[in-house]
Amino acid sequence: MTTAPLKYSKSKKVGEGTYAVVYLGTQISSNRKIAIKEIKTGMFKDGLDMSAIREVKYLQELKHPNVIELVDVFSATNNLNLVLEFLPCDLEVLIKDTSVVFKSADIKSWLLMTLRGIHHCHRNFILHRDLKPNNLLLAPDGQLKIADFGLARSLGNANEDLTSNVVTRWYRAPELLFGAKHYTPAVDMWSVGIIFAELMLRTPYLPGKDDVDQLDVTFRALGTPTEQIWPNVSMLPQYNALRVYPPPSRQELRNRFSAATEKSLDLLISMTQLDPSRRCDLTQALLHEFFLESPRPTEPEDLPKKKEKRVKEEDDEMNKRFKV
Amino acid sequence: MIGLEDERTKDMCPICKTDKYLSPNMTFLINPECYHKICESCVDRIFSLGPAPCPYPKCGKILRKNKFKKQIFDDILIEREIDIRKRISNIFNKTEEDFPSLDEYNQYLEKVENVIFNLNNGVDKEKTEEEVNKYEAENKIEILEKSMRESQKNSDFTKYQEAVERLKQEKLRIQKQMEIEDIQYQKQQQQELLDKLSSSNTANSDEIIKQQQSNMQKRSQFRKRQLQQLTSQLDQNFSKNNPLTKKEVDNEPKAPFTPFQGDRELKKRYELLPIPRDVDDLLDIDNHADETYQDPYVNKLAKNKEYLGAGWRLHTVFERALDEAFMGLGCFIEKEKMVS
Repeated sequence: MTTAPLKYSKSKKVGEGTYAVVYLGTQISSNRKIAIKEIKTGMFKDGLDMSAIREVKYLQELKHPNVIELVDVFSATNNLNLVLEFLPCDLEVLIKDTSVVFKSADIKSWLLMTLRGIHHCHRNFILHRDLKPNNLLLAPDGQLKIADFGLARSLGNANEDLTSNVVTRWYRAPELLFGAKHYTPAVDMWSVGIIFAELMLRTPYLPGKDDVDQLDVTFRALGTPTEQIWPNVSMLPQYNALRVYPPPSRQELRNRFSAATEKSLDLLISMTQLDPSRRCDLTQALLHEFFLESPRPTEPEDLPKKKEKRVKEEDDEMNKRFKV
Repeated sequence: MIGLEDERTKDMCPICKTDKYLSPNMTFLINPECYHKICESCVDRIFSLGPAPCPYPKCGKILRKNKFKKQIFDDILIEREIDIRKRISNIFNKTEEDFPSLDEYNQYLEKVENVIFNLNNGVDKEKTEEEVNKYEAENKIEILEKSMRESQKNSDFTKYQEAVERLKQEKLRIQKQMEIEDIQYQKQQQQELLDKLSSSNTANSDEIIKQQQSNMQKRSQFRKRQLQQLTSQLDQNFSKNNPLTKKEVDNEPKAPFTPFQGDRELKKRYELLPIPRDVDDLLDIDNHADETYQDPYVNKLAKNKEYLGAGWRLHTVFERALDEAFMGLGCFIEKEKMVS
C-alpha cells in the first residue's frame, strides 16, 4: 500500500470515554484545528461499538451551522477515526461557572441556536435522544453546535419498537420514564425545555437521584399526569402514579423563574407539556413570540465565553508586552 | 497613647467638651467652609445671633448657621470632595445632548473634572475659583434652563416608572379575577354534572362526561384567548399614552429577525387528506376510513392505546412517508457542491 500524504496531525490527548479517545489536531491543508475521535475496537462483541456507527451514520447526513461537523472518517491500523470540528467549550461548563453572568438575551440566543440545530435533525427524521448542556458545544465564534450523536436514531417503520432507555436521566421526558416504546421527536423537545429552565436557574431543573426519584422530582415540579390531561398515559408499560401532585399554578412558576418574562414562561410551559402530543414541535417553538420580544437574541460572537480563556489571552498579551 | 487620645477626642465636642459617652443624644455638625466639627448645642449657642467666626483656634473663618449640616462620610476629605462636586455640577450642568459630538462632550467632562480636582487639592485654587465664578456669571440663564430641564426629565421618568408598575398590577388583578371565576365555574359544572348523572340512566353517562370534558376544554381555550386580548389591549393603551415607550421602538432592529435563517420549507410538495388527530376520532378510525387513506395496517396501529399514550399519531406516519418520498426533489447536486 502506498502511503498517502498526511492530511491531519495529532497533537495531544484531550479526553477519553468508554469507547473512544479524543485527540486535538490540525488539518494540515487548511491549518484548521480539529478533534480526532479514535474509536477503540476489539473490545465489543460486534467489533465496533454501536454509538460509533450511529455517530458516523447521522453526522454524515446532517450539515447545519448548529450541528457539529464531521470533517472526515478514516481507518488506520485496524481502528476507526472520526475527524470532527474542534469545539473548545460546552454549555455545562458555562452554566457551572458562577463568575459568568447570563443576560436574558444570551439565554435566548443559545436556545435559538439549539432549536435550529434540532429542527434540522427532526426534519430529516433523526432523533438525537441525548440532549443536555454537556452535549451543546460552543465554537470560538460563539456558535452553539449539537454534538454526540451516539444515541441518535432515525425513525423507522411505523410499528418499530424504540428503546425507552435513552437520554440522560435529568433530561428524560415523562413518556420515556414510563417506558414508552413508540415515542416521537417530542422527547428532544422536552430535553430542550429542561435545558432552557436550567439556563435560567443556573442549576439542574429536575435532578432525580435514580429513575424512580426522577419521576417524583418531575411530577413534583410539573404535576402528576392524569388521564384527563394526558389521554392513555395509563397504557404505558411502566406507568404508575406514585404520588399525585397538583400541576403548578402560573404564579408558582413565576416565583420559580423570577427573572422570566411572561412569554418565556409560555414557551417553557409548552416545551414541558407532560403529554407528548401537546408538547410544541420545533417549528412552533422557533416561531414563538418569545423570540420576537425585546431583547433580541445576542449575536453569537458577543455571547459570554469561558473565563479561563480570557485569562490565558491576557497572559498572552502580557507576554507580548514583556517581549516588546 | 496617641490612639487612645484620638479615640477620646473623636466623640467629644472640642468647644464645650461634652462627651458622647455621657450624653449619647448629642450630634455633630460641620460647615463646608472649614469642615471643623462642632456639636449641635454649640452651633445653636454661637451662631444663632448671626454670622460668627469659627471657634477653633487659628481658624477664624466666618460661618453661618444655615450652612451647617450633618456629616455623611466618615472621611472628611471625601465629604469635602462630594460638596465640591455638588456645587460644580450645579454650575456645569450640560448633558450629552447639548454637544454635537461625543468628543466635545468628553472634553467638557474633562474640563469639569479638572476644576473639581484643582479645588479639591488646592491647585491654583484662587484662579480656578475665579474661572468658575466667571463661567457662572456669563451663563446664568443657560444654567437655569438646564437645571429646569433636568428636573422635568426626572419627574417624567418617575411618572413612567409608576405607570409601568400600575400596568403590572392591573394585569395581575385581571388574571387573578379570571382564575377565581374559573374555579367557581368549574365547581358549578361539577355540580351540574352530578345532577345530570343522577337523573339520567347509566347507559349514556360516559357520553355525558365526555361532552362535559370537551365543553370545559373549549371554555378554557376561550378564556385564555380572552386574557391574552385583555393584556395586549392594556399594553397597547399603555404604549400609546407613554412617549417614553415609543422611543425604544424607534431604535429597534436593523434587520428583521429570522427564526429559521431562511432555511425552512414553507410549502410542502403535496397535500394531505384530512387525517384525524383527535384521540377519540383515532380510536374510531374505522368510521373515518373513507375520508382518508386506506391503510388497514397503520390504521390498526393508530388505535393502539399504548402508541397513543406515547404521543404516536397517525398523521405523522403519512407525513413522513410523503416527505421522504419527495425529499431531494428539486435539489441539484452540482449547485449544492458549489455552496459547500
